[in-house]
Amino acid sequence: MRRSGRNAPRLKPAAGVLGAWVLIAPAAAAGQAGGAAGFERGLELYENHCALCHQSSGEGNPPTFPALNGNDRLADSVGIVRNIYRGAGTMPPFPDLGVEDISALANYVRDAWENDFPEVTADDVAAALEGLDDAGGTVSVWDGVFTEVQANRGQAAYTGACAICHGRRLNGAPDDPDMRSTPPLARAAFLREWDGRSLAALFEYTRATMPEDNPNSLTDPEYVDVIAYMLSVGGMPAGPDALPTDPQRLSRIAIGPQP
Amino acid sequence: MARKQGDDGNDTEVRNENRLSRRDFVTKGAVAGLGGAALAGPEGRAQARSTGTDDIAWDYDVDVVIAGGGCAGLTAAIRARDLGATVLVVDQNFDLGGRMLHSGSFVSLGGGDPVQRRDMNGESDREGFITADPVEDPAELDDSVDLLFTDLTDWSVLDRKAQSPYRYNERELVRAWAENCPATRQFLTDNYVRFARVNGTHGGGGLSRARGARCFLMLGDRTDMKAGTITAEDAGVADPERTSAFAPVQMTNMSRFVAPGAVGNGVALARPLEFSAREKGVEFMLHRSFEELVREQPVAGRILGIRARYSPRRHPETGELMQSYWQNGNVDERRETVHIRARKGVILASGGHAGNPQVRSMFYPAMREPAFPTSGLALQGQKSQDASALIAGLRVGANLAGMQQNLSYSTTFHISTRLGTRDAYTTMMPGHPTFGFRGSAGVNVGNAGFEEFIVVNQVGQRFFNEVRLPRRPGLNAYPGDGGAPGQGLEHTPQDWRNCRKEWVQEMYGHDHGLDAALAMNEGSEPPDYYSGPIWAIFDQDAVERTGWELRYPYVADNGYFFQADTIEELAEKIAAGHEFQRVPLKHLADTVATWNRHVDAGADPEFEREVDAPMNRIAAPPFYALSIMVVWHDSYGGLRVNGRQQVVDMQGEVIPGLYAGGEAVGGFNKHGLGKGHVHGYIAGTHAAGEPSA
Repeated sequence: MRRSGRNAPRLKPAAGVLGAWVLIAPAAAAGQAGGAAGFERGLELYENHCALCHQSSGEGNPPTFPALNGNDRLADSVGIVRNIYRGAGTMPPFPDLGVEDISALANYVRDAWENDFPEVTADDVAAALEGLDDAGGTVSVWDGVFTEVQANRGQAAYTGACAICHGRRLNGAPDDPDMRSTPPLARAAFLREWDGRSLAALFEYTRATMPEDNPNSLTDPEYVDVIAYMLSVGGMPAGPDALPTDPQRLSRIAIGPQP
Repeated sequence: MARKQGDDGNDTEVRNENRLSRRDFVTKGAVAGLGGAALAGPEGRAQARSTGTDDIAWDYDVDVVIAGGGCAGLTAAIRARDLGATVLVVDQNFDLGGRMLHSGSFVSLGGGDPVQRRDMNGESDREGFITADPVEDPAELDDSVDLLFTDLTDWSVLDRKAQSPYRYNERELVRAWAENCPATRQFLTDNYVRFARVNGTHGGGGLSRARGARCFLMLGDRTDMKAGTITAEDAGVADPERTSAFAPVQMTNMSRFVAPGAVGNGVALARPLEFSAREKGVEFMLHRSFEELVREQPVAGRILGIRARYSPRRHPETGELMQSYWQNGNVDERRETVHIRARKGVILASGGHAGNPQVRSMFYPAMREPAFPTSGLALQGQKSQDASALIAGLRVGANLAGMQQNLSYSTTFHISTRLGTRDAYTTMMPGHPTFGFRGSAGVNVGNAGFEEFIVVNQVGQRFFNEVRLPRRPGLNAYPGDGGAPGQGLEHTPQDWRNCRKEWVQEMYGHDHGLDAALAMNEGSEPPDYYSGPIWAIFDQDAVERTGWELRYPYVADNGYFFQADTIEELAEKIAAGHEFQRVPLKHLADTVATWNRHVDAGADPEFEREVDAPMNRIAAPPFYALSIMVVWHDSYGGLRVNGRQQVVDMQGEVIPGLYAGGEAVGGFNKHGLGKGHVHGYIAGTHAAGEPSA
């Protein structure tokens, strides 16, 4: 049933196509980003492409098909654009949609129901897709994407900021029994949840929502250090280079099961 | 300071028995509240009225006697001592602190208390340890006594079980509590307790403002309560698998709420208070279990003192009498029974009833099952939370309050995610002398861990969707944001919309797995129909997926963890090796085979597991069983008290000289320490202010 992100078909954009998008972006931004027409187009696209799984109500059918209504992950505009374009986890790619349609669709799901995320312009879409054209393509979290030193730094940050809720073993079991369980941050259950997403998504999600009582209270380097620690606990090997804080670069590191 | 009467050095248990035999009590009918026999017949009753209590041989004589040295008792003791009273605390355990010692030290007070104001102003603590910025916005800390009082008597707030935590609270009790919160926070700070940044509010502490702060000490080269420092060894942070006699539960990193090098939990609250109490001359009689109140008449007149019984706690390996960490102020008394005169008052702070299955059955008959103990079993011992205050209070005519409020807090009883130990609530590693009573630290698998196994009852049958089994219902919730800490400003107290039907239907979130775990099954037999133990069953593949460390000190050969090469052998080992396994797990092999067929088919028709998580075969040996515990943690029903913490009788009259606080009292559904400390502060104040009898 569940398709591995690593096996999902991916379509690498050709340089020429991206160039064209960049050229038309200013006109799109000035003309039709947002507004009633964009929303209607987004609704049409959503009903055609998305509602089968995510439902017209945006409630989805968790856990296989996540709800979009009230889904904090939609805050990551780069992630949503790329997910639409190249798929994510169980979600198929939609490579035939152009910049304007991706913009309309992204804006629809970010604005429909109870959602209220800011607008994604065609400019933003073009910029997000442009990053995909960088040489090298996608690597896996199993390819040595962090350093041991970084993971050790991450352990210290994790212990101070995260362990109180996610537990010292990163399994979502807090030491204080009065506190409720939380999602695991390492190993199989974590991989299952994040399979097919990129480290950029994880980074953005974590930065935007954690620690729950004081989001974005760590520095960006601390957040990626914590992610490096999470990966190391999950058995992923360290490598020569540290995880960067640049979401564009993080977006090229895919989370998935061990090859 | 406790004057020991008639202490010529020759007292023995025999002589004591001669002097104060059971027969004497019955014959003279001298003492009220000493059990059924003295009160049973018309003769005894008449004699009790006629003779009074003049014949009691008091062994000790002090101003204030306190039953229980936990958060309410220690606070009351220091407060009464500060006001000039002589104070003797009796505690059934070998060391002080009660459940406060193994707590997370999350003390929710409020009403504009000094720590709220400190954080509101962005200030550090007075010693300058805190360098972390405040966690809460100033507006979230802008509190008042009136708002706190309103919050905790709010009729409109429901939790995710659709139960009302505040509606039934005693108004007078809560008003007094709210008014004394700021003074109690200052009092604790004045007795070496150091509070980290305010961070949210503990359950039952209201919704409108952030009121909770944890306690901390700073890692240093010596353990010194005055200096606020503790060694890594004493804090239990030097070795991830070892703790200390000082800290039964390893302390946790508090850097985000204080500064790098800060550690905290109940140790940083209980030990400073204990240190201060001893320093100020409070005396302690440990290994001494409070049993009965002595009243002038059976249900009339003044409370004169208590009777307490020797309850030695011996080391699980050596058999030696265990010793408290600090000794100064200890009264070494080993006679079986002593009577302690209280010239000013008795304060009952001996905890609730969570450890007494017979009393528990008043609230939930299925929780009479003795397989499931209360929290902190190893540390606190069998007499912990034994309902002693409730039982003794009833015998002298006390009323009860809030008896239904046990059902309104989600940790009151819950399924622990710490598996493989009978003492499943508490984190404790080897290094504390009571570790041997639990034998294993347990494996805390979290809620997510329940996706990795099946759970069976005492006959080896599944009974619930495992993924949903450990889920606890959320705390109090109001429309809008779900009532998360730090968002109290959006809450409108006493607004009918907080409990409008549509909202409650939307936020309801209770899975009832615990109730399924307590259900009768094929092995349940009259008259009690015990549901029996429950077991997590899994294989080696699950261990590979999760990284669970199935080794000492997490698991041990103590009857709560089993391993075998076949399911049949596993079932036999459980039946032979677990103290509460009364019947064979005769269905276990069939259950596992059926489960594996469900996995292959991709659907679990019985419990619909496929809806919630992937399903995995249980097929790769060795096979494992870990015990799963239903924990009854805390108590809310108890003695009725007024705003001075005086116990009130069935006629609504105060019982003179009798006070109670913390989990011994009912009518106040507030979780945890904040309630107990303020109760102790109030009770200590008024007991010390009584005229000396």
